[in-house]
This record gives sequence, structure tokens and C-alpha cells, in this order.
Amino acid sequence: MSYLSIKRWRDSEWSNHEHSSRDVNVFHDTIMKKVFDAALKKHTEAFGPPPCLYSWIVMGSAGRFEQAPVSDQDHGLIYEKENDEAGHYFLEFGKELAYGLNEVGYPYCDGNVMSSNSVWCKSQMKWSEQLSKWLKEESFESIRFLLIFYDARVLVGEEKYGDKLKQIVHDYMKEYPHFLERLFENTEHIKKAVGFFHQFLTETHGSHAGSIDLKQSGFFPYVNNVRLLAMKECINAISTLSRIEELLKLPRYQQELSWCVKEFENLLHYRLKYHKTMTENYDDIHYLHIKELSKDERKEIKHILLNGQKLQDYTRSVIKGTMHK
Amino acid sequence: MEEIMFSLNSVWLVLGALLVILMQGGFILLEAGSTRMKNAGHIAGKTVFTFGLASIVFWAVGYGFIFGGNSNFFIGLTDFFYSGEQAEGIPYSTAAFFMFQLAFAGISLTIAFGGFAERAKLSAYLVFAILFSVLVYPVVAHWIWGGGWLAEHGKQDFAGSTVVHLTGAMAALAATVLLKPRIGKFNKNGTSNTIFGHNQVYTALGVIVLWVGWFGFNGGSTFVVDDGFFGFVVLNTNIAAGAGAVAALIISWMVLGKSDIPTILNGALAGLVAITASCAFVETWAAVLIGFVAGILVFYSVKLFDKLKVDDPIYALSVHGAAGIWGTLSTGLFATPELAAVGKPGLFYGGGFSQLGVQAMGVTVSALYAFVVSFVLLYAMKKVMKGLRVSEEEEIIGLDVSEHGNYGYPEAFVTNKEKNRLAN
Repeated sequence: MSYLSIKRWRDSEWSNHEHSSRDVNVFHDTIMKKVFDAALKKHTEAFGPPPCLYSWIVMGSAGRFEQAPVSDQDHGLIYEKENDEAGHYFLEFGKELAYGLNEVGYPYCDGNVMSSNSVWCKSQMKWSEQLSKWLKEESFESIRFLLIFYDARVLVGEEKYGDKLKQIVHDYMKEYPHFLERLFENTEHIKKAVGFFHQFLTETHGSHAGSIDLKQSGFFPYVNNVRLLAMKECINAISTLSRIEELLKLPRYQQELSWCVKEFENLLHYRLKYHKTMTENYDDIHYLHIKELSKDERKEIKHILLNGQKLQDYTRSVIKGTMHK
Repeated sequence: MEEIMFSLNSVWLVLGALLVILMQGGFILLEAGSTRMKNAGHIAGKTVFTFGLASIVFWAVGYGFIFGGNSNFFIGLTDFFYSGEQAEGIPYSTAAFFMFQLAFAGISLTIAFGGFAERAKLSAYLVFAILFSVLVYPVVAHWIWGGGWLAEHGKQDFAGSTVVHLTGAMAALAATVLLKPRIGKFNKNGTSNTIFGHNQVYTALGVIVLWVGWFGFNGGSTFVVDDGFFGFVVLNTNIAAGAGAVAALIISWMVLGKSDIPTILNGALAGLVAITASCAFVETWAAVLIGFVAGILVFYSVKLFDKLKVDDPIYALSVHGAAGIWGTLSTGLFATPELAAVGKPGLFYGGGFSQLGVQAMGVTVSALYAFVVSFVLLYAMKKVMKGLRVSEEEEIIGLDVSEHGNYGYPEAFVTNKEKNRLAN
């Protein structure tokens, strides 16, 4: 299948797969796997078959199985053998993958988190070294990378590679629990969307005037804080909902997080429901125009946003050690 | 003793003139900082030549129109081409007084040009500088300060919330209406875009220069130093500015969720504009209140003009217009019996509604006059000069190049080809 035919197939099939966030994400997985197969076929024809075992990981919202209908690409490659031949082969393959995804409708990642970038395309051994370096470095950038990697999910290839690498993070976390505070600070900034008078703080200017930024104000507090709690408890689940479920199995979280599942499900629902009225622009998908919402929906959204703040405060207290000691 | 006082008063007036003329520097920084890099040289430079033009016009006719004798309803008709002659029985140098008044006329014109920013032709500045200085400013100034009919009613406008600021802002409004918004300011769906100024530091520095200059503006308006009353005027001026800045910070924080820097800067200026009318007539607590209300008012006024799709790049309409109106009305509320040297005490000091009524009438008539006459003049200019505005292409490349063939910031714009040419 060529990229173009995958794109056509995707466009024609799309309307059958947008009933739920789960639907959307299963479909995204199918498309991305098709792109992978097409890219691998093309690359094999030119450079021969892969020289060793590997796994293709997707990160960001794709990793968490929370992609919006329109989404950019975040992915990497982990391969078995550390040698020049494999290194060259997979980096070139990574470029093909990024190209293919872009052709099919996943725009290139602004932050260059793609298999075509050697930072995200490494042998198992080099990946371990890199993760250890990121953990020790504690710079703003290395922490960003670490948090991105932590949402990695193996989409194609060896399942175990991903978990094995995450174990490095978990081991470090056990040894240096204070590291979590540093991680927390990295994602602490939230774009406020509810103001002093409990009013919505919508964009005042530009093409999104009157809208709130659902990604930054809505999703980020949930995704980031749940991720941190999952890191603290060494939970392997990747999607935000499954992470919450795992956390809820621990008695100390039951009271504080029980409401989270519903709020996050609602958030996914709103994004899906209202994207249809927008153009297929990657940027547009994150904005929710307040005037399009009914009175009850506004109330619900406000509730979700305020609870995101509450979750953030709770996570802060857990991580700074004032709770669950 | 009388001679010493004459000299001291004259020094004070010249010092006032100096501070007010220095406010042109404040406006240069404020305006250039609030607009884009490609227009910086133009915005800064035009302020200098329009002040030059206004100075000559003021000397030729402006001063005579405002303060001359043989006056009709609109203007006085003596003292044209002022020779520097000393008027009899005045406790300060008339030439110093002339300079002080000239500085005010210049400020009003610069405020008016706020409405021209980033899109008007240079020739429009030139022609309107003359027309405004002959036909708009002197009439309002004569009515209120030159012994005209509003002065007879006891209209209180100590240093010119109406005369200088509102008059300028009304001309700016006429200009923005006729010029239409800058390219890219409003979207088809009715939303507006922020066109960021290129240097917030300039803008903030501009505010501080204006703030200090205002001590000359208001303090100098005592004309005499006798009882040291100017100190009280300066005190009121300062705390109103402070209250305006603080109020603007609070309101933007509460409404937008973030304290907005341009709003804070506008708040300080709005406090200054508002206290200009009332600084000599109200107690200090009232000065704080007047400034505070101005800071909140300016925030909502900016939002309102945005909603009305009036593109006001340097917020002249809100800062000088809305706050100018509020400041003028404020003396009708807060003027005290002891301080009201002109007119009557305000509503809260047992004066009833009479002074407030005078203020409201004065502000309405002055605003209407300034708007209507400016509009007619600009409309005629638009017809005769075939448009007030530069072409789309010129607007996009910027006025520095299109109007002056020069760059405010050469390093940012000179192409590689030109760099090579310069290097060889």
C-alpha cells in the first residue's frame, strides 16, 4: 500500500471511527501500523531487511492512547544491536517513517520527537545510557525528554523493550524519591482558564478568541499529574485512565482520585464532540469555543478545569512529601 | 520682594514648559514601543517635526486665538505673532507663560496623532498638524482657559483633562474612524488580533518620562510659586498615577487571569490624565480614588473599542479620552469648598449637582466640538489629498521605508545584498 492509498483509505473510513475516544485511537493505531508496514517494505526494497530485532514506540498522546482525531507524530525506535550498520539502517528507516506519517496526515513533530532524530532512535544499550544520563542531568530539557519517553508504548516489534527501559526510571525513582519534585516543577505551569470571578478566561485575541485551550488548561493538569503519581508508584500502565485505575487499587489514593476517571472521560468526550465543527488544522483541535456549549456543558467544563487544579494541588502535596509518608 | 516672586514664578513656568516639552520624549518612547519595528523611526521622527510645526502655528495664531482680546464666541483676536511683550499686572513673565501654553498645545496634537499610528501618510500629519493647531485646540482652550463661555460657567479643568487630553483624543477618534483599522488587526469572523508593540521597555520608559513630565504639566499650572501650592498639586498627581497603575494591575489580573503589562502602563497614564482636571481641587484621598477608577475604566475602555472594531494602536482613545472625561467629571464630585478656586464644590461636598452639571456640559460640548471639527477637516483632507492612508504595500513594508526611505533599525531590515554593498 502506498502512503497515498493509506491516506485515501483513512479519509474514507474516518467517519466510522469517531464515536468514542477509544475508537479513534484504535483506528489511529491501525493507520500507523499500515504506515509502518509500507515504510518497512519500501526501506527493505532499498536496504534489505532489518539487521536485528527492534521495536517502534509511539509517545505523547499516541503513547497514552489519547490522540485527538487530528494529531502530530511522536515516535522512536529501539533496536537490539549496537553497531554502525544497525545505527545507519534504523536512522534512515526512521526518516522514512516520519515522511510516511506526514504524508498520511500526521504532521511532523515541532519538538523533533521522531525516529528520524538520533536522540529517539537508538540501540537498547544506548537507550539505557541515555536514560541514565537524562536522570542524572536533571536539566530542563532532559526532564522534558524523560517525561515524553515515559509515555512510550510499543506499537510494532518487541514488546519487552519499552518496559525494560522504563524499569531504569523506576529504579532511579526508588533510590532518589526527591527527583519527583524536580519532575513536578517541570510541568507545574498551567495555563489558567478559570478566573477570579469563576469566569472562563478565554483567548481574548486572534482566531481562537472566545475559546479556551483545552490541551493546556484541560488535558495537561490531568495527564501530567497522573503521570507523576504513576511514576511515584512505579506503575507500568500508560494511558491516563489506566494509570488512574492502577492508582485507585492503592487504598491511599481511593478517596482523592475516585472522581478523576469521570472528569477525564468527559474531557476526552468534549474534545471529540467539538472537533467536528473545526477545520482539520492541528492547532484548532485543542480549542473549545465557549459560546458553542450549552449552559450545563459550560458548568461541566468549568468543573473539569477546577478539578484539574485540585488534582495539581493534591499531587504537589503527595510529591513534596506532605502526604502518604 | 515682588521682583523676586516675579522671577521665581517665571522660573517655575519655564521649568514647567521644559517638563511638558520633555513629555514629547515620553510620547516618542510610548508610541514607538507600542508599535512595530518597521514604523519606529517614522513614529519617533514625526513627533519632532509636528511639534516644530505646532510651535510656529501657536506663535502665529494659536496663542492669540486662546488668550487674545476682542474675542468672539470661538476665539480671541489679538496677540498674533506674539512678540514676547510683557502683559501688565501679571506676576510672571508673559513669554514664560507663552512657552508653557505652547508646550500644552504640542501635547494635545501629539495625542491626536496617536490615532494616526502605523498607517497615515506623512503629508496627512503635516496638514492636520496645522489645521488642528489653528481650528481645534485653540477654540476649546479659549472656552475653558481663555475667558470663554465655559470659563464663565465656572468649568473646572485645572491642567487640561478636557482641554488637552480629551481634545486630542477626540481628534484621534475622528482619525481612527476615517483611517480604518491597520491591516491584520481584525479577522473576518469579527475577532481581533493583538498587534504587539516591538519594545515594551520603551513603552514603560515612556510612561515614566510622562509621569515625571506631568509634574510640570499639573504643578506648573499653578503658574505661581507663592504659597507652595504646587507641591500639593504634584502630590495629588503622583498618587493618582500610582492608584491607576495598581487598579489596572488588579482588574487585569482578576478578569484575564494574568496581570497585563500594557494595561498596567495604561492605568498609570489614565490616573494621570484623570487627575489633571482635579489635582488642585480635591483632597488626597479623592486623588487616590480618581486614579483608581481611571485605572479600571481604561481597562474596560480598551476592551470596548476593540469590540467596536476601532483600532487604537496606542490606546489614545481610552487613556486620554475615557480617562479625560472621567477626570473632568470627578471635580464635580470631589471638589472641596476650600480648594475650588474656580467654580463650586462638588456633589460630595454639599455643592449639589450644579458643578457636576457644568462639568458634564463642558466635557460634552468640548468633545463634540473637537470630534466634529476634526472629522470634517480630516474628511476634507481625505477627499483633497486622495486618501489619508498609505497604500497597502507601503503599510506592509513599513512607514520607515515607504515614507522616509530609511530604517529605524537598519540591522533588522537591510538585506544581505545591501550589507555586501555597504561592506565594499
